[in-house]
Amino acid sequence: MGLLRRRAPLLMLASLLAAGCTVARATDWELSVDARGVSSSAARSFMDGGFGATRFGSNDDGVQLGRARLALTQPFGDVWSVHLDASMYDNLGRSPVGVTEAFVLFRPYPRAGYRFRLKAGGFYPPVSLENRTSGWESPYTLSYSAINSWLAVEVRTIGLEGQLDWLGRHSGHDFDLGVTGGVFGWNDGAGVMMANNGFVVTDRQTPLFGRIGQPGVPPLSGAEPFLEIDHRAGAYAGLEARYLDRLVLRALRYDNRADPTQVDTVSGAIAWNTRFNSAGARLEAEHGWTVIAQWLDGDTTIAPQGHALTWPFHAEFALLAKRFGRHTLSARYDRFAVETHPPGAYGAQDGHAWTAAWLFDADPHWRFALEWLQVVSSSINREEFAGPLLATEKQLQLSVRYALGSSR
Amino acid sequence: MRPPARVQGRRPLAGLLTTLALAGLLAWTEAAGATLLIDVQSADGRPLPGAVVTVRPLDGQARRAAPVHAVMDQVNRAFEPDLLVIPVGSTVEFPNSDSVNHQIYSFSAAKRFQLPLYRGKPYPPVHFDQAGVVTLGCNIHDEMLAYLLVTDAPWFGRTDGSGAFSVDLPRGRYRVALWHPRLRDSEADLERELTVGETDRADLTLRLSKPLQSAPLAGRSHSWGY
Repeated sequence: MGLLRRRAPLLMLASLLAAGCTVARATDWELSVDARGVSSSAARSFMDGGFGATRFGSNDDGVQLGRARLALTQPFGDVWSVHLDASMYDNLGRSPVGVTEAFVLFRPYPRAGYRFRLKAGGFYPPVSLENRTSGWESPYTLSYSAINSWLAVEVRTIGLEGQLDWLGRHSGHDFDLGVTGGVFGWNDGAGVMMANNGFVVTDRQTPLFGRIGQPGVPPLSGAEPFLEIDHRAGAYAGLEARYLDRLVLRALRYDNRADPTQVDTVSGAIAWNTRFNSAGARLEAEHGWTVIAQWLDGDTTIAPQGHALTWPFHAEFALLAKRFGRHTLSARYDRFAVETHPPGAYGAQDGHAWTAAWLFDADPHWRFALEWLQVVSSSINREEFAGPLLATEKQLQLSVRYALGSSR
Repeated sequence: MRPPARVQGRRPLAGLLTTLALAGLLAWTEAAGATLLIDVQSADGRPLPGAVVTVRPLDGQARRAAPVHAVMDQVNRAFEPDLLVIPVGSTVEFPNSDSVNHQIYSFSAAKRFQLPLYRGKPYPPVHFDQAGVVTLGCNIHDEMLAYLLVTDAPWFGRTDGSGAFSVDLPRGRYRVALWHPRLRDSEADLERELTVGETDRADLTLRLSKPLQSAPLAGRSHSWGY
């Protein structure tokens, strides 16, 4: 029953989409399969009950499924559309196939230089500047930065988001400006990953209402980030500025407004009050150069018996990419840390990561990629679970992706 | 049989041609002044290709250029071409050669319209009956940007690869104006008035005082969202 209740918004979207298939406008679709050859020296991943900071541990060496994905977009008239993104990563989730994003989009035509957009459903808040291709993938690397990996694991807007843009470039100016605001529920569990495993560098997106870790295997024990526990809506507000087609600046204040003293009566899960500020810049220049920098600073608090425990966290990364025709070479440096209040408590983490990747879009269907990743981190939790305090983990991935779709 | 027939047929034709040529020459000496040659340079003195030049008579009313039927296509999530100059009263077709849907719009004062372009479905052309710059966008793909310059000028054109534009004009006084989608100078600063016809050729050099806005980045994928 509880599961059904939590999935009610998803079921509603699915039936809307099914109804949409009967209307005249053609459905846009995309289907892709990404196979990986993996060689890793990392510990078991967080999904596999471990403290590995990469997606694949040394136990995953060999051929793995990167992602199998089906995405559908169904327009309803001119200004309404429904989007559904379903993926399969492995058999470590609640079900083999999960929905990473599903939303209804209302996008009226701009008027007098302004445009309003409204999204309702489950989707990512506007933080990432690297996850810009379909399926919230990065065109620069296979693994996302630590900041965006965290969003992929346990942050999603399940609610409403409005965006108002001033389209200056369409009125003879050099820039566009936008404001965004979101109201959401079902994210009171966000923070459990941060406090237990800290930052990781992965590209596995937890499906909406999915779980993380394995049931009965600490520390995550199959925790659910997408829970509504205290019946209090979270909110965020953000700003965006764009200069020509070259520079994008973004800032966002996010607070899931969870009451940290609340506990879910069904699952016993604790409400995590997670708040953060994020900011980022993406600069694109001549000759295929791209620079991205993102910064994140926040904390998460629980107080199940009135005793507050807080984990302040912060992370940043810088990415440099150069495109040569259909080839893209990228390098990224990530730095991240989780602290504890009171100090010295369970959960402190400190680390950095280097990622180097080569992506080759051979044609509209085939993409090949090679990525080398090294994460160096210290983790109190890992040590408590009989692992090393300090670890250097390396992961090498070769990816072959085949994609089909209505626009390919 | 054939050669005499040709010779016979040629005489009246030759006579007609001569008459026409004489009439044309008379008309030319009466009305045509000279060739106006305009050189457009960017702020750093280099030739500026692609700039739009419009020429309007200051004395009397000249006939407007005849309306045309033009095509602004959508190819690889971009407008093709990125600029069209059309006379007032022209129609423009938006065929959509992409396999994705587009929603073309303009909120410019010269023409406000919305045009959904769904795959494989033809849409009637849009009529532009007012002079001015029409900025085109796509409500689905924000990076798509193109311009229509709807002009009531009798003479207009774009500078070639060497920044040059030339037009044959009757004797008289004219106002020459310059426009470019990425212009930062005020259009009023680039307007010139001149007299054509005192000699066979009139020359005008227009140099921008400010650098153009940066050109759109080449070679980037248009399939990316935000």
